[in-house]
Amino acid sequence: MNIVGELALWTALPVAVWGMALGFMGGRNGRGDLVLSAERAVYATLGLSFLASLGVIDLFLNDRFDYWYPAAYSSRDLGTFFKVSGLWAGQRGSLLFWLLLLNVFSAIAVWSNRRKNREFMPYVIGVLMTIQTFFLVVLLFAEVNPFERLGFTVADGQGMNPQLQNYWMTIHPPTLYLGFTAFTIPFAFAISALLTGRLDSRWITVTRKWILLSWFFLSNGIVFGMRWAYEELGWGGYWFWDPVENASLLPWLTATAFLHSIQIQETRGMLKVWNMGLVIGTFLLTIFATFLTRSGLIESVHTFAENLTIAWIFLGFMFASAAVGLVLVLYRLPKLRSESRIESFLSRESAFLFNNLVLVAATFAVMWGTLLPLLSEGFMGQEIAVGPPFFNRVNLPIGLFLLFLMGVGPVIAWRKASARNLRKNFVWPTSVGLGTGAILWAIGIRHGMALLTFATSAFVMTTIVVEFWKGTRARARIEGEGWLKAFYHLIARNRRRWGGYIVHVGVVMIFTAFAGAPWNTDIEQTLEPGQSAEITSPFGHTYRLTYEGLSTNINDRAQNLRWQLVALMSVEQEGERVGTVQPEKRQYFVGGNRDPNTGNATEVGIRATPYEDLYVILASVPQIETGMSLNDPSAQQAHFRIMIKPLVGLIWSGIMVLSVGGLIGLWPATEKPRAAKSSPGGRRAVAAAGD
Amino acid sequence: MEILGALLLIGAVVAYLLLPILKGETALLHRDFEEITEAEARRRIALLALRDAEYDYHMGKVDQADYTKLKGRLAAEALEAIRAVDGVDDADLEREIALVRAGMRDGRACGSCGHLNPPGSRFCAACGLALAPPTPAGSA
Repeated sequence: MNIVGELALWTALPVAVWGMALGFMGGRNGRGDLVLSAERAVYATLGLSFLASLGVIDLFLNDRFDYWYPAAYSSRDLGTFFKVSGLWAGQRGSLLFWLLLLNVFSAIAVWSNRRKNREFMPYVIGVLMTIQTFFLVVLLFAEVNPFERLGFTVADGQGMNPQLQNYWMTIHPPTLYLGFTAFTIPFAFAISALLTGRLDSRWITVTRKWILLSWFFLSNGIVFGMRWAYEELGWGGYWFWDPVENASLLPWLTATAFLHSIQIQETRGMLKVWNMGLVIGTFLLTIFATFLTRSGLIESVHTFAENLTIAWIFLGFMFASAAVGLVLVLYRLPKLRSESRIESFLSRESAFLFNNLVLVAATFAVMWGTLLPLLSEGFMGQEIAVGPPFFNRVNLPIGLFLLFLMGVGPVIAWRKASARNLRKNFVWPTSVGLGTGAILWAIGIRHGMALLTFATSAFVMTTIVVEFWKGTRARARIEGEGWLKAFYHLIARNRRRWGGYIVHVGVVMIFTAFAGAPWNTDIEQTLEPGQSAEITSPFGHTYRLTYEGLSTNINDRAQNLRWQLVALMSVEQEGERVGTVQPEKRQYFVGGNRDPNTGNATEVGIRATPYEDLYVILASVPQIETGMSLNDPSAQQAHFRIMIKPLVGLIWSGIMVLSVGGLIGLWPATEKPRAAKSSPGGRRAVAAAGD
Repeated sequence: MEILGALLLIGAVVAYLLLPILKGETALLHRDFEEITEAEARRRIALLALRDAEYDYHMGKVDQADYTKLKGRLAAEALEAIRAVDGVDDADLEREIALVRAGMRDGRACGSCGHLNPPGSRFCAACGLALAPPTPAGSA
């Protein structure tokens, strides 16, 4: 299998080059046979990269430690599940995995458009195969071939980084990669639109679902990463403005801007150049994110620095793509003129425009902070890094303004809203927002930023609820339907808009959770069994945690654990027993000749409620660390960090609400009958318009 | 054995790629006649704008006066778009826009995309969604 896999990878390169060349040639010369062959090249590379991926998984499952990649990332003891996830655990495999996902999406895009949008397809295939060629060149020539042989066999692999042996870490990278690769399809259609000169909104209509799909995966991928950091890194946070976190946030920000601005192009024929800029920019940022994560250029928790050849190849590709995009946009500038203008400052268009400017500003701010260490070292020979305070200071006001716009946008009419109507429509939301702020102030909340966030969140939630209510009422009136039916039809008939509002609800929940951070409380205490620690929640009640004792689990091969220490604590809230938490310290078998201490991991104990998390870290077990045997029952003293994280749960429930809204927007139309053509007196039927 | 399989694989890929060129099979290169054209897309957007304006008005986002003005202008845009698609002469236009308005009410105009379907349609020919059943006269 591994030989077939390796050969498949080498075969994929000429096939991709073939598809690229024939796609462009066939499109330019109108040669249908060349285009058909190029289409087949798309399916062929899918098959080949699938075989190559199977080959890599086969290396992991069979403990082929005569190959570099499994020797560096696996070990004999690793569970089967994590062995399969070895495909994306390290740089080499994840580049192949990226290619595989891109292939899957390319094949779906080509297959689903085999009878429609044909004038775009030759160039779409050409662009997709160019990107595939790039990844294949990287895989085969940048010293990152996952099939590289060692020339000798090591007894055991070095093992997987224990921090990666976590459920969230197993699904976080694939979800992000799905988001990154799905965005390649809109990019390919955009370039194709520029090449063919068909620059109406067609390319957007065709790829709208892809844009939403990509955004959906990016949002989930980012939050999965937060969840992983929260559970696994053991410092009580979920976001640290780490370069790689930022790298995944950047395309999300521009994709969010794009999702909004395409609506203006579709309805008003405006912002065509801007949208081209956003689609090209977002694509580049997805490549940039992959590059940052997988090139080892910037040190971060995600980096497994290996070599820099790959960095130069990535940079070259990004510059080339940017240059091609820029030249094409300039060349087509006459055809990208707006069909209309913004009629009034008070209109939904201008609210969308604001949203876009703010999101792009956030993108630049985050990018600047991320690249500053690199740039300062390159140009001044001295590394200047900016920490979370910089990012927070810049992005908090930006986020707050976005939140505010989220409440304003839906209420303003398209084209032109009158001030009188605005006043009327904002009476309720503003009162609720101000009222919320006043109540929170009255009960003693003085943190300005948080107060503003809570009040604005209340304002936005009210506009959304009112919007649903008024929409239902309007539909009931216009179509003469009952309330329930009108509500259902309201959403079903314009899923993008109303699904979008549900997404907004999720975003508001997540923002509210962020605003709970100022009330994070923590204490540190060393306890003997039977002793207790007390911590008072910002909500007023007091938790009493009693340390019941330490249990040890040694040599658990099934879980790949050298040892595991589990501290049991019972939790009382206001004197009433409510449950237990079990923070752990673990050491994994790391195999090979690595320092066994690198296998130390912290598993936090979390007791989650809808309004706050009790978060307990087993910071250290002093006696064991100073050499006492794990089996010694007197080695029980433990050092704990106990924290209360108000509102954190809203992030995880918020992403679920957001996903529901996203799915409503993504849900395919139920049936597509085309039989209406010959009805008497009927006009010519118009076939499916891409959604 | 594995090497033989590998060679077979390469052979199969090459044959799969070359056959269309050798046998002259072709892929479609042009727009399917059923596909929406640029003019049709514009018509659809114009109708959607009409619908949005109506909802905005009923949801209290636009004044009566603004709405009347806006509706007049949007209707004119819609008419122009319809003319571009169908090439109907001016005499038909008023009837056409009346049809659109009626269609919005009796459920033939798609609530999702604004496409006007032939009478008796149960699904929108443009986007495939189920159409609302006609509302009995007088109950609206």
